[in-house]
Amino acid sequence: MQWLMILPEILLAAGGLAVVAAGVMGRRRETPAALAAATFVAALVALWPLRGITAEAWWGMLVVDSFALFFKALFALTGLLVVPLAHAYVERRGIHAGEFYALIVFAVLGMSMMASSRDLLMIYLGLELLSIGSYVLAGMLKDDDRSLEASLKYFLVGAMTSALLLFGLSLVYGISGSTHVEAIRRAVSAGDGWRGVAVAGMWFMLAGFGFKVAAVPFHMWAPDVYHGAPTPVAALLIAGSEAAAFSAILRVFTTGFGPLANYWQAVFAVLAVATMTYGNAAALVQTSAKRMMAYSAIAQAGYVLVGLAVGTPEGFGAMLYYLLAYLFMVVGTFAVIAWLSLARPEEMLDDFEGLGRSVPWVAAAVVIFMISFIGIPPTAGFLGKFYLIRAAVSADMVWLAVVMVVNSAISAGYYYSIVRRMYLTDRSATVAALPPGTSLVVGLAAAATVLLMLFPQPIIEWLGSAQQVVALLR
Amino acid sequence: MLSLLIFTPLIGSLVIALLPRENKDLLRRVALLFSLVPVALVAIMWARYDTAAEGMQFVERIPWIPAVGIQYFLGVDGISFPMLAVTALVTTLAILASFNIQERVKEFMALMLLLETGMLGVFVALDYFLFYIFWEVVLVPMYFIIGIWGGPRREYAAIKFFIYTLLGSVVMLVGILALYFQSGLGTFDMLAIAEQARLNPTAQYWIFLLLFFGFAVKVPIFPFHTWLPDAHVEAPTGGSMLLAGVLLKMGTYGFYRISYPTLPDAAKAFAIVMGVLGVINIIYGALVAMAQKDFKKMVAYSSISHMGFVLLGLAAMTPMSMAGGLFVMISHGLISPMMFFFAGTVIYERTHTRMLPEMSALFTKMPVAATLLAFAAFANLGLPGLSGFAGEFFTLTGAFEPLTSLVAVAVLGMVLTAAYHLMMMRQILMGDATAEAAGHAAALAHGHGAAGHGAAAAVRLPDLTLREAIVSAPLMVSIVLFGVAPSLLLRIFNPSIQALLSRMGGL
Repeated sequence: MQWLMILPEILLAAGGLAVVAAGVMGRRRETPAALAAATFVAALVALWPLRGITAEAWWGMLVVDSFALFFKALFALTGLLVVPLAHAYVERRGIHAGEFYALIVFAVLGMSMMASSRDLLMIYLGLELLSIGSYVLAGMLKDDDRSLEASLKYFLVGAMTSALLLFGLSLVYGISGSTHVEAIRRAVSAGDGWRGVAVAGMWFMLAGFGFKVAAVPFHMWAPDVYHGAPTPVAALLIAGSEAAAFSAILRVFTTGFGPLANYWQAVFAVLAVATMTYGNAAALVQTSAKRMMAYSAIAQAGYVLVGLAVGTPEGFGAMLYYLLAYLFMVVGTFAVIAWLSLARPEEMLDDFEGLGRSVPWVAAAVVIFMISFIGIPPTAGFLGKFYLIRAAVSADMVWLAVVMVVNSAISAGYYYSIVRRMYLTDRSATVAALPPGTSLVVGLAAAATVLLMLFPQPIIEWLGSAQQVVALLR
Repeated sequence: MLSLLIFTPLIGSLVIALLPRENKDLLRRVALLFSLVPVALVAIMWARYDTAAEGMQFVERIPWIPAVGIQYFLGVDGISFPMLAVTALVTTLAILASFNIQERVKEFMALMLLLETGMLGVFVALDYFLFYIFWEVVLVPMYFIIGIWGGPRREYAAIKFFIYTLLGSVVMLVGILALYFQSGLGTFDMLAIAEQARLNPTAQYWIFLLLFFGFAVKVPIFPFHTWLPDAHVEAPTGGSMLLAGVLLKMGTYGFYRISYPTLPDAAKAFAIVMGVLGVINIIYGALVAMAQKDFKKMVAYSSISHMGFVLLGLAAMTPMSMAGGLFVMISHGLISPMMFFFAGTVIYERTHTRMLPEMSALFTKMPVAATLLAFAAFANLGLPGLSGFAGEFFTLTGAFEPLTSLVAVAVLGMVLTAAYHLMMMRQILMGDATAEAAGHAAALAHGHGAAGHGAAAAVRLPDLTLREAIVSAPLMVSIVLFGVAPSLLLRIFNPSIQALLSRMGGL
């Protein structure tokens, strides 16, 4: 039973090693990509027998519950979508396929470990596995200065983040004598005299996680890293890595620090407002498509933080839905950017000019992604925002809901600049041939973005059981 | 039936997306065909419509997202059904009026049909979530219609329209959610919330204000109106017809359908504010319209002015004033598309100008078209016997008792309205064609350089074409019909208005 519970992780680890081996030994260039995709499919399949189970294994280090399952499925799906979108890009940019896909598989393994843990050490382990892979992935364009800068910056900031996290973790360990979230929960709700130390430890951990999700004021690295990293890697970091950090935040703060909710709720509210407002304001003035999407990612992280600021089960459920919806919009948009960069590697917003005429179906899909980012129906982004706003209004935080909706209206300014370039200019685009991987990812992502809104009931029921896991406040 | 009605245009838009873009005539005809289906369905429903019933008819209800209490819930009553009819009719005519569009016909027709689905959906949705979806769906195609096929400043006008109305509607969304939680019923069902929720007045005030913001931008109520002249002037004719004919009514419809029945205490408390805003709209819109040189801009401000009557009718909250407000909505939904059609297409295509001072003596140059324009202008200024007069008359009569002083000012607005319409007519219809032809030709030569508009050509312009006549005829017939026999509409309005007022507890 214990082995079955970590079967998805075992498959990811084995698959990653197989990709490395294929990269070294195989002669066919497609093998690593195919193996990586097969690994993600296998991991998704291995999740199926675990549904409905709630159990701990390996001395409480790993837990399988619907919350963990939701995120593991989300991460495997992210990996599965990133592989085909990366294929043509990796070929064209001369990235070594074996290393690239292996690191992606290991990064997803790290994310899965983070989601599946109720022990701070295990979360840290997963985080480091994810991060170290990401540092290398960000620098994969070896002859591009921006990419190298991204890698180094990400590494330096990441090292500092780890230090902050570890420091906070040790303070918390000091008062609870354990790294298990349940033990921490018992300790912080009982130990009155030590509450100050617990809160201090919590602040440090919050800063550490804040860096990972690129919340203002811990965001400085994000635009440069997302901009400089290879485009498929940026998609993985924005959709997967941030979601992994959110899964850890949810687990640690709602369960371990649940009794201290009064201390962190307001902080998350401030972070949410600062993050979305700054991200949107900065995105408005960008001319590079990737950099604009990087700031947009900051703004979107701000929306997700609203769920934490609200601090109710509805808020957490809304976060989960939003992260899932966000995955498809981000991966779809970056697939298009990666494809456009085959012809014009600068990845400017102007590359979108005239797409409405030259490739109407792709342009229509991009419109779906953009209105989903803004939060206009009928898209998953709308329903996600709807749930977040609903949670905020339900918790009597109408002001936060209003800040959020005003921000979405502002964000229309820059998301629509892409739409404007696609349809309202007469210039025709110089584009490379559409790789099959790109059209597959864009098509799937656009369909998912619409279907998640029109038929959300199964997902919502699933989320209902997932949000109960982390609804142990007070 | 209603699902078929609202989704036929969507299907049409998908069909058009699959057709080849080269065959423009085929695209136009397919679009027209798909827009005629809702017209036919509305006609069938009209025959079956029970005017005695006060409740919802043709109801469809399916659970959609039961976890949150969201349903797919449609129905029409006396308030929404006539709007549905106007929407179906004006969309068809707008598509017909857009047959002269040559650029990107495929996208244009697909967007017009998508827009129709959104507009029809707004008027039949009885679930807040569904209502909001249709409300927002309208935004996207209209952005493209203005932005791609509009005038020289189209991009600015399109994004201004988009961001203004988006901001208004997202704030409205917060209001809807507040309503959902304050009602404590766990449903987004509009009727259930209106009937069962008894909110305390403070909550009502706040929710009313949040919803007001969304509706006010759409109406548009002064000072939220500045997007409208830009959008109207830049939009292509078909877009202007739908903007003025239907989109503006979505705002006032929101008051009738949501704010008043659901938040009666707030509606009463804000009545005087609504009335004053209505009168400001009437007077301000008329004065600014009078100062315009651009024909389309004049009609745009005249729309702001006319929507003020609807607000005044709402503010007075008498059976007659409320029915009058609805009547103005319908009547303006017929007259303003006709005005825009003439300003943007019929006259513009011949004179190549929208500037009033550059036109003159159209009566002698194109007698039939000029007569029809005069008809539209008289309808718009409220000539008795035409629908515009009936609506304004009921509104003012109904509002006289509770809001005497406001009505007195509003009547001044009617005088102004008559004044600027007559000035416009004197300017462009009358005059001596031969005497000014030389000057006119000179203006054209350096201003627009349109070939074939020399002194000789200026005397006589091609008159109304068959297609233009077909666009105008149904509007004219309806305007006369409802002007002569207003009871046709009142009969449909009254049971619903009575039900609405009795739910609000009278005055």
